[in-house]
Amino acid sequence: MDDLAPPHPALLPTGFRDLLPPEAETEAASVEALMGVFAAHGYERVKPPLLEFEDGFVRGSGAAVAEQSFRVMDPATHRSMVLRADMTPQVARIAGSRLAGSPRPLRLAYAGQCVRVRANGTDRQVPQAGIELIGADGAAADAEVMLVGVEALRGLGLSQLSLDLALPTLAPSLLDAGGFEGAARAALAHALDRKDAAAVRRLGGGLAPLLAELLLTAGPAGPALEALGRAALPGPARAVADRLGEIVALLEAAAPEVRLTVDPVEFRGFRYHTGVAVTVFAPGRPEELGRGGRYGSGEGEPATGLTLFADAVLRAAPARAGRPRCYVPFGTAPPVGAKLRAEGFATIAGLAAGDAAAEARRLGCSHVYDGSVALALSSAR
Amino acid sequence: MRPLVLAVPKGRILAECGPLLARAGIMPAPDYTDEDSRRLRFPTDHPGLDVIRVRPFDVATFVAYGAAELGICGGDVLMEFDYPDIYAPLDLGIGACRISVAAPESDTPEDPRRWSAVRVATKYPAVARRHFAARGIAAEVVHLNGAMEIAPGLGLARLIVDLVQTGSTLRANGLRETEVIADVTSRLIVNRTALKTDPERVGAWIARFRSAIEAQPEAA
Repeated sequence: MDDLAPPHPALLPTGFRDLLPPEAETEAASVEALMGVFAAHGYERVKPPLLEFEDGFVRGSGAAVAEQSFRVMDPATHRSMVLRADMTPQVARIAGSRLAGSPRPLRLAYAGQCVRVRANGTDRQVPQAGIELIGADGAAADAEVMLVGVEALRGLGLSQLSLDLALPTLAPSLLDAGGFEGAARAALAHALDRKDAAAVRRLGGGLAPLLAELLLTAGPAGPALEALGRAALPGPARAVADRLGEIVALLEAAAPEVRLTVDPVEFRGFRYHTGVAVTVFAPGRPEELGRGGRYGSGEGEPATGLTLFADAVLRAAPARAGRPRCYVPFGTAPPVGAKLRAEGFATIAGLAAGDAAAEARRLGCSHVYDGSVALALSSAR
Repeated sequence: MRPLVLAVPKGRILAECGPLLARAGIMPAPDYTDEDSRRLRFPTDHPGLDVIRVRPFDVATFVAYGAAELGICGGDVLMEFDYPDIYAPLDLGIGACRISVAAPESDTPEDPRRWSAVRVATKYPAVARRHFAARGIAAEVVHLNGAMEIAPGLGLARLIVDLVQTGSTLRANGLRETEVIADVTSRLIVNRTALKTDPERVGAWIARFRSAIEAQPEAA
């Protein structure tokens, strides 16, 4: 309207981007590598749609991402639809409906693009790859999804991982037991969320000493578990703390190289979780690589899962060497190209005669076929 | 291992930070209090910690994005930006002031309950909108970076929402504090991921600041 220049044709809406070579191929290959590990552990792939009816999506665990969802009106039915902001609610829906008759525990895997409203300049399109283990309760199930995730990430070269285990229901159950309601509860929950020990002491009443101690225990798993063991917790909180101890023992036995931290009063971002939840980090990286944990699927069927954020995973993973590219001059017999491809080259077919080496360099090839072998080009790209 | 970075705010709070840092055992390079120094990043006597000096609002941004692991940040800034990646574990008790609404002295008192909307000059748009929205009033925010106090007199806005320390600037400009939105002090803030993935180092600095404020005789 008031812009004199028309918008630049390459300008994309905030938070959306084009992935170019070689990143686009790397992302696809990495997601397939993750999915390969999931499949090897018996997680079968499902593919839910991009759009769903809003009332169905937000009924279950989708409610947690309702305000992060783009909505459109279905021109055919005039019903409101959401563009998925998270795939876990979709998989839970599938498990509870179309696959309700499949034997439990049900292991499902998925990969796909999600879109979030968040307008703070971060990516709004989020590629997810994840697994859900539905119909099994117990520490073995919780630990399984975490360990499968760790193995999948290790396959991408991420050998140093850090899992932060949280008990998102612990703080609410303590606040329930302490009789906190309304504004007092909101203020105390806010102080806990900010890890503001002074405010927790001021607002926590009789719970203050316990909450302050739990705040300070956030950190390496060993000391945190000891503190949780000493703490006087009400029944439900004790049960989830004990479950945490079992999970830590299983993880330490199976993946001793993974760093484990525990944050007992963390509930930030865990909206539908009902038990131990996990956040995956790579040390030195500022973003989360994945999230997961225990929740109630559909009509409250016990479930646990892990979602990896493929874009963050790729930024953390060591660069993967691309496929070598070999220029095959115009007129070379077709079997030559087939042989080179079988050897792992990408072949770039010449479409006209000319100086093959010069053309190979111009097109960014690493090799040129000289009539008998693929010759490495001396000059770097 | 990369040194941790502590972001401290330029201006009002910087002087008050000095004694606190000293009690926490942090001695930045001497030119760090020199606002004329062109240097922005300062080593400290501790090889594992550097200090950066940035604008108060930017402290929160550096810490939220993990560019600095730790920061000293006014509660006013945290109220304005609700970054999910910031924890605010310690009230440092320095930089005490309040965020308030102020109006011209000469205004005849009016019943704000009758207002649908009000034009407010402020550098805290989110705080102002939230405050008035909770009273059923839509705030039309005029976003200024300074000299809010002259806005009502020049007809730019009816009210201002600003940081008030003693109230003398308000009085000098013919304004009267009509409502305190919140009392604020400075906080030690930490990046969430840094605390999760480096709990020993980050936790050790939180503990040092905690003992530094506990060692301090309770100031008024």
